[in-house]
Amino acid sequence: MAEKKQSIHISGMRQFKAILKKDIVMELRTKEMLTSMGLYALLVLVIYYVALSQAGSGFDVTRIAGGLLWLAIVFTSLLGLNRSLVHEKDQGCLDALLLAPVDRPVIFFGKAMGNLLFLVIVEVLVTPLFMLIFNAGKYAGIATAGWLAIVLLVGSIGIAGVGTLLATMSVNTTGKDFVLAVLFIPVMFPLLLATVAATSAILTQHPDMAVYWKMVGVSGAYDAIMLSAAFALYEFVLGA
Amino acid sequence: MKQIRIALWMAIVGGVMTTVAFLMAFFTSEVQLFGTVTLPKQITTAFPLLSGDAASGFMYGRPWFSQKIFYFHVPFAEASFLVFTVAAYFAIRFLMTRKKEYDTKTRVAMEVALVFVILTLISGDLWTKASWGVWWEWEPRLTTYFIMTLLMVAYFVLRNSLEDEERRAIYSAVFGIIAWIDAPISFFITRLIPSDHPIVFKSGMATSNLVPFIVAQVGMLLIGYAVYVVRLREERMRERLEVIKESLEG
Repeated sequence: MAEKKQSIHISGMRQFKAILKKDIVMELRTKEMLTSMGLYALLVLVIYYVALSQAGSGFDVTRIAGGLLWLAIVFTSLLGLNRSLVHEKDQGCLDALLLAPVDRPVIFFGKAMGNLLFLVIVEVLVTPLFMLIFNAGKYAGIATAGWLAIVLLVGSIGIAGVGTLLATMSVNTTGKDFVLAVLFIPVMFPLLLATVAATSAILTQHPDMAVYWKMVGVSGAYDAIMLSAAFALYEFVLGA
Repeated sequence: MKQIRIALWMAIVGGVMTTVAFLMAFFTSEVQLFGTVTLPKQITTAFPLLSGDAASGFMYGRPWFSQKIFYFHVPFAEASFLVFTVAAYFAIRFLMTRKKEYDTKTRVAMEVALVFVILTLISGDLWTKASWGVWWEWEPRLTTYFIMTLLMVAYFVLRNSLEDEERRAIYSAVFGIIAWIDAPISFFITRLIPSDHPIVFKSGMATSNLVPFIVAQVGMLLIGYAVYVVRLREERMRERLEVIKESLEG
């Protein structure tokens, strides 16, 4: 009985866990997000091969590897964000969440965390593959993997956070994925510029750590500003 | 009706002021020169360009006329930032009050801002071609400003793909605020990151140059405000018409 009484007032952390768990359970059952995102990322890499196929042997891919990697992540996350919120809407889950006594900010963090999780899993799979098939990590040491992980995480937090807000809006429009791309890419632009600069700084022949940390700092600042804005505005979007 | 009359006067005064600024830019502000040319014989010029006699003929300063774009480009740009900020302010007001008039105001202000942005891009492009020799350069100020343009376009794309009126108003207000974050970034970026774009008002300006600049700026803001008022009234009347139509049908 005591347990039942407690459940009337569920703490924010438990609500957050419940929303996250729902996404994970759904993913484990359907495996839809990860397969579609992973396969899509793989296809982007294949297209990269076509784009670079005539570059010749003197071409040093590490100079553009940062850009290519983030491009793949952006396209993949566009696909993933759209799917993640389309599910919520089509199956009426978002309405149910709104009916449940859950704080609105918790919904935002729960959804954003789920999106971040799937994005990170795809990145963990795709980044080594990318490094391998394009030989982009030829100057990289063991430490580079750690630095790469940091910038990937900082970038993904921004993508998942702002992406969740924008995707929640775009699923209710008539254009859906097109509208998401139109909203998402310009908003993401400063972040991408910084993360690409940071990634390129560590992958080139002479890693420049000063540039790397500066650009990671810029990305972190972007995350802080945009996440607070997204967090503050999410309530309005959900209420509409 | 009174507001419309004021707006009309503002448009006329603004038009006169920008025209005056255009003439002043050429005839009263200093003619900036880059380098000299030596001609074999003396020629008549509208501007005091003769800088001395060389051994082989008359030495003339080469007038840097593309610099005149400055008197319009910078006022356009500043007006665009200002009007965009006004639009973001109305978006915040809308989310606070949920009054429909603020949604209309945000949209109309965003339209006016977009017009200024497009004028900035066109005038800037002409200057870039004349001064840097290229039509476009991916340089911090140009890039962030271009992104700002895309964000404004995205605002209208979002609006047009939403059918539910209330939802459209809320979503577009939210996106308007998110989009506005780029405005201060674009405005201050030339002061933060090394950029090819000139920074205005860092070293001060001669009075003869400052006057046409200010006249153009005020004139443009007057025209912008007049357009805003007229468009807003048009929208209000359209909304009223919709209500009347609906009540007649129902």
